[in-house]
Amino acid sequence: MATETIIASANGMATPDPPSQVRVQLSTRHPDISLPENPGPILVNTNLRRYALSTLVNTLLQSEKPIPFEFLINGTFLRTSLDEYLTANGISAETTLAVEYVRAIIPPLYLASFEHDDWVSAVDVLSETSPAGKWAGSAGARMLGQERILSGSYDGLLRVWSMSSEVLVTSPSAGSGGHTSSIKAAKYISPSHVASAGLDRTIRLWKYSEDSEASNASLSPQIELYGHKASIDSLAVHQPSSRILSASADHSLGLWSTRKFDAPAAPTSLLPSATSRSSKRRKTGTSTSTPQRGPLSVLKSHTAPVSDTIFAPNDHTVAYSTSWDHSLKTWDLPTSTCVDTRSTSHSLLSLTALSSLSLLVAGTSARHITLIDPRASATTVSAMTLRGHTNAVVSLAADPESNYGLVSGSHDGTCRVWDVRSSRSEKEGRVGESLYVVERESLKGEGKKVGGEGVKVFGVAWDKGVGIVSGGEDKRVQVNRGKGVISEKAA
Amino acid sequence: MAPQPYSKKRKALTRDSPEADEVLLSDGGDDFEIALLNGIQSQSEDDRDEEDEDASSDLFGGDSDLEDEGGSEDEIVSDEVPSDEEGDLADVKQNDTATFRATEGNDGVERPPPNHKITEDANGNPRYIYTEIDPVYDSDDSDAPPTQNTIGNIPLSFYDSYPHIGYDINGKKIARPAKGEALDALLDSIEVPKGWTGLTDPATGEPLELSQQELEILRRIQMNEVPDEGYDPYPATVEYFTGKTETMPLSAAPEPKRRWIPSKHESKRVMKIVRAIREGKILPYKPPREETEDELEVRRYDIWANELARPDHPMNVPAPKLPPPGYEQSYHPPPEYLPDQNEKKAWEDTDEEERNQEFLPTSHDALRKVPGYEKFLKERFERCLDLYLAPRVRRSKLNIDPESLLPQLPSLEELRPFPTTCATLFRGHDGRVRSLAVDPSGVWLASGGDDGTVRVWELLTGRQIWSVKLGTEDAVNVVRWRPSTEAIILSVAVGEDVYLLVPPVGDPEIETKGREVLDAGWGYAANGATSNAKKEPATQWTRPGVRLEEEGVLVKFSLRKTVKVISWHRRGEYFSTVCPQAQSSAVAIHTISKHLTQLPFRKLKGLAQSASFHPSKPIFLVATQRYIRSYDLSKQELLKIIQPGARWISSFDVHPGGDNLIVGTYDRRLLWHDLDLSVRPFKVLRYHSKAIRAVKFHQGGLPLFADASDDGSLQIFHGKVVGDMMENATIVPLKVLRGHTVKKELGVLDLDWHPTQPWLVSAGADGTCRLWT
Repeated sequence: MATETIIASANGMATPDPPSQVRVQLSTRHPDISLPENPGPILVNTNLRRYALSTLVNTLLQSEKPIPFEFLINGTFLRTSLDEYLTANGISAETTLAVEYVRAIIPPLYLASFEHDDWVSAVDVLSETSPAGKWAGSAGARMLGQERILSGSYDGLLRVWSMSSEVLVTSPSAGSGGHTSSIKAAKYISPSHVASAGLDRTIRLWKYSEDSEASNASLSPQIELYGHKASIDSLAVHQPSSRILSASADHSLGLWSTRKFDAPAAPTSLLPSATSRSSKRRKTGTSTSTPQRGPLSVLKSHTAPVSDTIFAPNDHTVAYSTSWDHSLKTWDLPTSTCVDTRSTSHSLLSLTALSSLSLLVAGTSARHITLIDPRASATTVSAMTLRGHTNAVVSLAADPESNYGLVSGSHDGTCRVWDVRSSRSEKEGRVGESLYVVERESLKGEGKKVGGEGVKVFGVAWDKGVGIVSGGEDKRVQVNRGKGVISEKAA
Repeated sequence: MAPQPYSKKRKALTRDSPEADEVLLSDGGDDFEIALLNGIQSQSEDDRDEEDEDASSDLFGGDSDLEDEGGSEDEIVSDEVPSDEEGDLADVKQNDTATFRATEGNDGVERPPPNHKITEDANGNPRYIYTEIDPVYDSDDSDAPPTQNTIGNIPLSFYDSYPHIGYDINGKKIARPAKGEALDALLDSIEVPKGWTGLTDPATGEPLELSQQELEILRRIQMNEVPDEGYDPYPATVEYFTGKTETMPLSAAPEPKRRWIPSKHESKRVMKIVRAIREGKILPYKPPREETEDELEVRRYDIWANELARPDHPMNVPAPKLPPPGYEQSYHPPPEYLPDQNEKKAWEDTDEEERNQEFLPTSHDALRKVPGYEKFLKERFERCLDLYLAPRVRRSKLNIDPESLLPQLPSLEELRPFPTTCATLFRGHDGRVRSLAVDPSGVWLASGGDDGTVRVWELLTGRQIWSVKLGTEDAVNVVRWRPSTEAIILSVAVGEDVYLLVPPVGDPEIETKGREVLDAGWGYAANGATSNAKKEPATQWTRPGVRLEEEGVLVKFSLRKTVKVISWHRRGEYFSTVCPQAQSSAVAIHTISKHLTQLPFRKLKGLAQSASFHPSKPIFLVATQRYIRSYDLSKQELLKIIQPGARWISSFDVHPGGDNLIVGTYDRRLLWHDLDLSVRPFKVLRYHSKAIRAVKFHQGGLPLFADASDDGSLQIFHGKVVGDMMENATIVPLKVLRGHTVKKELGVLDLDWHPTQPWLVSAGADGTCRLWT
């Protein structure tokens, strides 16, 4: 019924009291939902809201199942009625509005919290669509609902969680081949391999196995990688080429192999046995005989702690790294050389890539997110700025379903979901605003904390099936998911 | 005898003027002529009077333009003039009758038939009984006398040859009146005795005749003259008594003696009085005392009594005039000035002091209905107070654009980056955090507090990595990192002890290096003790014990007083400590490689507060309570005494360039010194409300400095130092960072900058450290 009236009004048929109408030109960047024939400008009532417009587009698409759409006008998502939007922006109703419709991102609702003993510094997800799952192909294919969440904690333990908030396995403690200090980074390499690194300056590779009922899982140390002289803050893995990249506070990046046979020997001076004193460490020293290996190469060019690193999305021989020295560097891994440096004006603390836009997204200590085009042809360093966080942005993850979405985790205790299409021009360039703010469930009912005390988010991951997974100072992994995504998939 | 000719002349007139025009106007009566003449005479006099009065009225009329009332009075006066004339006319008539009587006896010839009968009264005297006057209508008509002569308007000379002069209305001839010669002849023929009055003397019964003298007296009385003939009313003055010494005195008598000899009698009486006065019998006259103002106990001063009109001068401000009264002060103001009910109520409700108007405008129908103003005295008094007590100063106005006076400060956007918000809280210390420091690599933060622990934190996340308890009762006063990234060494002052420790946060290589650095001196200390046996070392460096050594605490030595300040030399070889309570051994310099403590000052003026090495030159700066002295270490001499002008210096820091100094004081001032410029502060920044505890320059190349105060706030400043000597440093206040709570009057106790980033850490008395980014 509602659809009929909308169509009626859209076709410009007589209405008893003609409210003001506006011409809209609908368009989209997604070919799968583009309108079959260009309808040209459509006259619609200005009192329509997002839902009505979405119904209209669905009618035009003649889709069997309605797809929720969002509408972007001049880089802003329509959150009010058209009339209010026109009034607020001072646009005449006689102009033709260029409206871009996109698939709606469902507001991420709180799903579950996985409680830890200590701060959670890193999270990763293994699922059908996660990088590790993709690399594994059908071998590692996991059924829906069989996703695993990997979390690294400040107590030096890795945990693997099932979706039913059960700890499947916890990594061995320091005495039995585990990390001797806090874990700062953890990543799935493949469904059966896990990499972790932390304050103890080592990267540890683990073998993960579980039986079919997931009742009996194990996490056994495989290789210890030595080579960094300070805390390792970030890891990037590329399973097909068996490479690991690490970013360390000793101003260097490490390139490692996940395989024992092609990794060089570990530098002896950095082994824990090298320290002459430290009876404590001797006590807790490696009783197990985990193989120790060194880096394939150490990339030194940064002048401050390196905060994050990633492989280039389409080329595993290229890596990007961000550092406290305000720079983003592009590395050619086969030659271990820095090929490009982009300097910004703030310390960069996190990095991710939007592959289809060939943009790099870097979180800064100055409470915003900078989008950087790493290509040599790019004229400006910062393509866009996303503002909204109130503390350092230390973790980023791209939207697995959209080329334009991303989520950021910050020390202010929130994760924010962004769409880079929603932006406007300001004097310092394009500035975007967040779509949704995911707050910590542990904070509910309390006010905002100064300095994000107790609620800082340290790691965030976004998986298509699982949703937004974030871990932080509240000793929890929190899972948020847009409702309806699952049901849509199930249908 | 002056009036005499006048009367003669008048007589002559009466006698000699039976002229033609008189004949024409009168019907031949002699009395008529006289009456006419008198009338003419009096008329001429009246004319003269009228002329005078006209003149005077002219004068008044001239004035009448100026004065209306006078003018109207003048008019009245001029109106009264005819009435005066009437009076005059009445006088004239009386005169006429008098003359008539007087002349009655003279003309017996052409007397008309008497209108009276003379009868005898009871005394035998003649009694005149007058006939009744027949009131004929035209008998009184004097306005237009009926013309007797009907000849018309022809010259009378035509009738000269006739005995008549015309014809009356009945056609009868009017006889020519008798001519002068005929009258004279007639009068001469009648013999009238001299002095004949025609009256009878009642005493004798004989006809009363007046002698010549009596007639003369009568005439004089009639003329208002003195009757006595010989009396001269205006005799010439004879000056009998005159001041002038006459050459011929009136009296030739010699001057009497009394003129020049004092009177013996008088002197006797005077002496009597004098004696009486001396004896007090007579009190000399005292004027009765007036009730003076002093006795009324009201002292009044007329402060403007001697006020003179002074020439216009900037320093002389005349009393300001009261504003002229407005409509609302009128007794009958326009209705829009009258307060309505609400305004009246509001006025009555407000306090008397707070009313903006002293009175309520009130309307009265008439000025006479205005009551007395009861506040008049008070108002005058207050006006006097205003004039007398209110200072009157001529305010000099400068015609300068205020914008141009403001210094051209760069905008805050251009001065970024600087810390603005609290990014991380470091919570864990029990009690105050007294000191903190960011390690040279910028990853770790060390802090020490009242709980006697030293903690090392991950700077960005706020995670506590390591901690050691060094003092059981004493607080950790200072923590400072050794300025080198090669080996991580932390120096800590706990009470009187100084510890050097290697926290196990770095990698084994760095840790080993740190241990090596600290261990290198053990052998030297042993050797040095043997070589310099006679000189007692200031202190002995020892190992702190196994328990602490396992924790990473490697060296301990004790100074005799509480150590408050540690500052490292840039190379990490030396560090200095300050114990303000130790008099002469307050400042000590320690050599790491030799485990040696030296006391560079044998005697120190004042209580040492802080000490610091110059960042590039071999200069050592020591701050006492009021001065900062800089010493050349190589020449061992005093270079300069910097005088911040503060009462109590709390801390100071040297700019990494070496030429500038900031000093924080307990008297709330932050002072910037340019060492090349002066020993006095270049700029004083007084923005804190409580004592400043710590000041720090950013050491990593950013033009920033900050101070921490007991008011719980930190202030960030932009302090740019230009290399050339010509330009002064630019100092711009950037940001006040609030967040620390004040506990027991203590706010922020210490602060430190990140070595490279524009990040600031602060230690608060509330037990937290904060990272500001």
